[in-house]
Amino acid sequence: MSGYVDLYTEGKTFLHRMDPRVKIIAVLLLTLLALVVRDLYHLLVLLAFIFLLLVLGKATLAKTYFALKMVLRVMVMIMILWPFFNPGGAPVLLSYGPIKITQPGILGGIDNAIRILCLATVWYILMFTTTQRDIVRGLVKLGLRFDLGLTLSIALRFLPTFGATMESIKDAQRARGLEFDKGSLIKRSKNYVAVLVPTIVSALRTADTLSLALQSRAYGARADRTYLRELKMKGSDFVALALVLAAFVIPTVARFVLNVTV
Amino acid sequence: MEAIDDVALRIRKGEYIAIVGGNGSGKTTLAKNLNGLLRPTSGHVEIAGRSAAGMTVAELAKFVGYAFQNPDHQLFSSTVEEEVRFGPKNLGYPDIEVTKKVEHALEVMDLQGVRGWPPLTLSLSYRRRVSIASVIAMDPQVIILDEPTTGLDAKDTDLLMQNIDALNREGHTLILITHDMRLVAEHAKRVLVMAAGRILLDSDPKGSFSDLDLIRQSNLEPPPVTQLAHRLSRFDIPSDIFSPEELASAIAQKVRGGL
Amino acid sequence: MCMQALHLRDVRFRYKGSTGWALDGVSLDIEKGEFVTILGPNGSGKSTICLMSNGLVPHALPGDLEGTAEVFGLDVRNHPVAELATKVGIVFQEPESQLFSMSVEEEVAFGPENLAIPREEIRERVEWALEIVGMKGYNDRAPFSLSGGQKQRVAIAAALSMRPEMLVLDEPAYALDPLGRAELYTVLRDLKTRHGVTILLAERDAEEASVFSDRIALMNQGKIIEVGTPKAMLRDPERLRSIGLEPPQLALVASLLNAKLGRSDLSFLSIDEAESTISKLLAARNRRGSV
Repeated sequence: MSGYVDLYTEGKTFLHRMDPRVKIIAVLLLTLLALVVRDLYHLLVLLAFIFLLLVLGKATLAKTYFALKMVLRVMVMIMILWPFFNPGGAPVLLSYGPIKITQPGILGGIDNAIRILCLATVWYILMFTTTQRDIVRGLVKLGLRFDLGLTLSIALRFLPTFGATMESIKDAQRARGLEFDKGSLIKRSKNYVAVLVPTIVSALRTADTLSLALQSRAYGARADRTYLRELKMKGSDFVALALVLAAFVIPTVARFVLNVTV
Repeated sequence: MEAIDDVALRIRKGEYIAIVGGNGSGKTTLAKNLNGLLRPTSGHVEIAGRSAAGMTVAELAKFVGYAFQNPDHQLFSSTVEEEVRFGPKNLGYPDIEVTKKVEHALEVMDLQGVRGWPPLTLSLSYRRRVSIASVIAMDPQVIILDEPTTGLDAKDTDLLMQNIDALNREGHTLILITHDMRLVAEHAKRVLVMAAGRILLDSDPKGSFSDLDLIRQSNLEPPPVTQLAHRLSRFDIPSDIFSPEELASAIAQKVRGGL
Repeated sequence: MCMQALHLRDVRFRYKGSTGWALDGVSLDIEKGEFVTILGPNGSGKSTICLMSNGLVPHALPGDLEGTAEVFGLDVRNHPVAELATKVGIVFQEPESQLFSMSVEEEVAFGPENLAIPREEIRERVEWALEIVGMKGYNDRAPFSLSGGQKQRVAIAAALSMRPEMLVLDEPAYALDPLGRAELYTVLRDLKTRHGVTILLAERDAEEASVFSDRIALMNQGKIIEVGTPKAMLRDPERLRSIGLEPPQLALVASLLNAKLGRSDLSFLSIDEAESTISKLLAARNRRGSV
């Protein structure tokens, strides 16, 4: 198992080779773009573009479905519930006592469902075309303080380890007659104490040794530091960055400055 | 990829078995198939005449106890006594029964002196014993011990193994999982050597030490005494020796002019 | 005067909040290039000496420190861990918790990066260190995917990349299976014979220590009992048992043979040596005892 949050898939596509900083910025801008765009058809164009990126990144159908399963459920929920909470506008399609279902209400639900899908997919693309290593390095190069980046990378590195420890602990307690899927909610919560305490103790012990190990490698010896692997922007990275900036700036200006319906 | 393959095994009540192999040999996988933590992809497991397939891990825990290698993966209670009570309580035994079983377990593992202490504050040697006691308290017929002596000093190892040997004398079937050939030589009566998911050898300790290549193939280290005995075989020193006393006697006999 | 790698004189140390003295009057000198093993049971203080050699004791693990404790001439009290870490590399017993990076390469590069070593030199050091420990080509592997023995070797590489003058290992084979142990000790032997690195090893198992140490220090309850050659330190099984150590099997055989044959000169620690000594014994017997 490579990791609980490691969705990375090996590949040589242009997305894989793109500088992580550009990808991080692109993801942020595309997320904002999804919120700026109002027109349903334009949203669908954005979604289509994002799906195109998915295809160009050679995402596998199986993995993508697995990663986005949750999102699809959330989308359905939004489409169903939104109209109930947004009864304003006309024309009214259905009316039953205090409940009013309007066309704008339904469209609003669809809009937001598509937005969620855009967001989730764009973040998924980042995750599966960029190693965790590169994401953290990109963030640090973009200005995240090194020690915060180190904290993040240590957390990611130990996630699968603690996951495995927790599984081992669950096994050990199962062998003592503990059953995790039976009993009332209260009983099940109490059962988890038998898993949480050893897990936390194990984590604390690890943290202790880790701290000694960090110090033993002269962490904090100097204010400056060097990096073995450097991130260098290539020509294609600048082009991609420029395109993403344009894709974001134009609609945003159009909507907020020129008052064009976007 | 299967972690174990083509394994066929019969264990009789009261046996004292060691399953040995290096990391990745499949010994832990095999052991976990015996108490339901893992289920066979194909083939079947029978415990005390009943099929394990129809029983949950909790139900199997009444017959097969498993003491994990890392006691810190089990300990969480505020006192040793509470810790040891945990297992039998989960199995649903009435309070009187539970108390009896707990007392017996504490006695067998020499833990009466620390019964009121928090287990996590005790030394490794004690924590191991608490973990084993909490398995014994469930009163299973079969007890699986996963690397019980790792990290212990020589003296603590001896004491612990005395306790464990006593369990076998009491009638429990013991399965020791280890990569320490010396431990095996001194305590087990039957040895299963595993490598790459298969059982390479199933014999008594003496028999298992006769093939050094096999042992090395399993990423195990034959005891130095056995290696030396093999090297001296041209002098008619028997090769299946694993105790220093036995080897010294054999050599001395040859030197003084035995046959 | 030649500077010693480690110079401890009458050192006493008590961890903060503890009543007992972890080190109770310890004197030990380690010369450059030596391979010294401290042999002692759990709680004997050997870990404390290891942690003191790069200043973790007393800086990261505070307490009361008395006596003289110098590492390559530097008083551990007055120099921070970051500085001592450039001279002394340390490997702990738990493979999992001393590797914190997301790849082998990052782990080994971490030390030199902290010291702001130029990138090209870091690259050289990383490759050099990985080569020595036999992990060349594993640069992009994640620690989670490595075996225990491999993890420990990466830990050694991560210490070596800082080019320390002394490598300290605290029960490095603790969690390893026989294969992992053998790999580890091969690396250590190599380091000593081919690279002249001073090595301090803390062990509980006399079996391993015997073969390549220059000197062995027997330790118990915070005190060093005696320091000497492996042969001298390991030949008396009773003494080892009294400290709480299991004597090496071959030393036991030698001692028992001596007793049975009414001699006191037989002594061997390695299988080769044992075979040769005993063969000579038996060959002499065969020659004498003509039947």
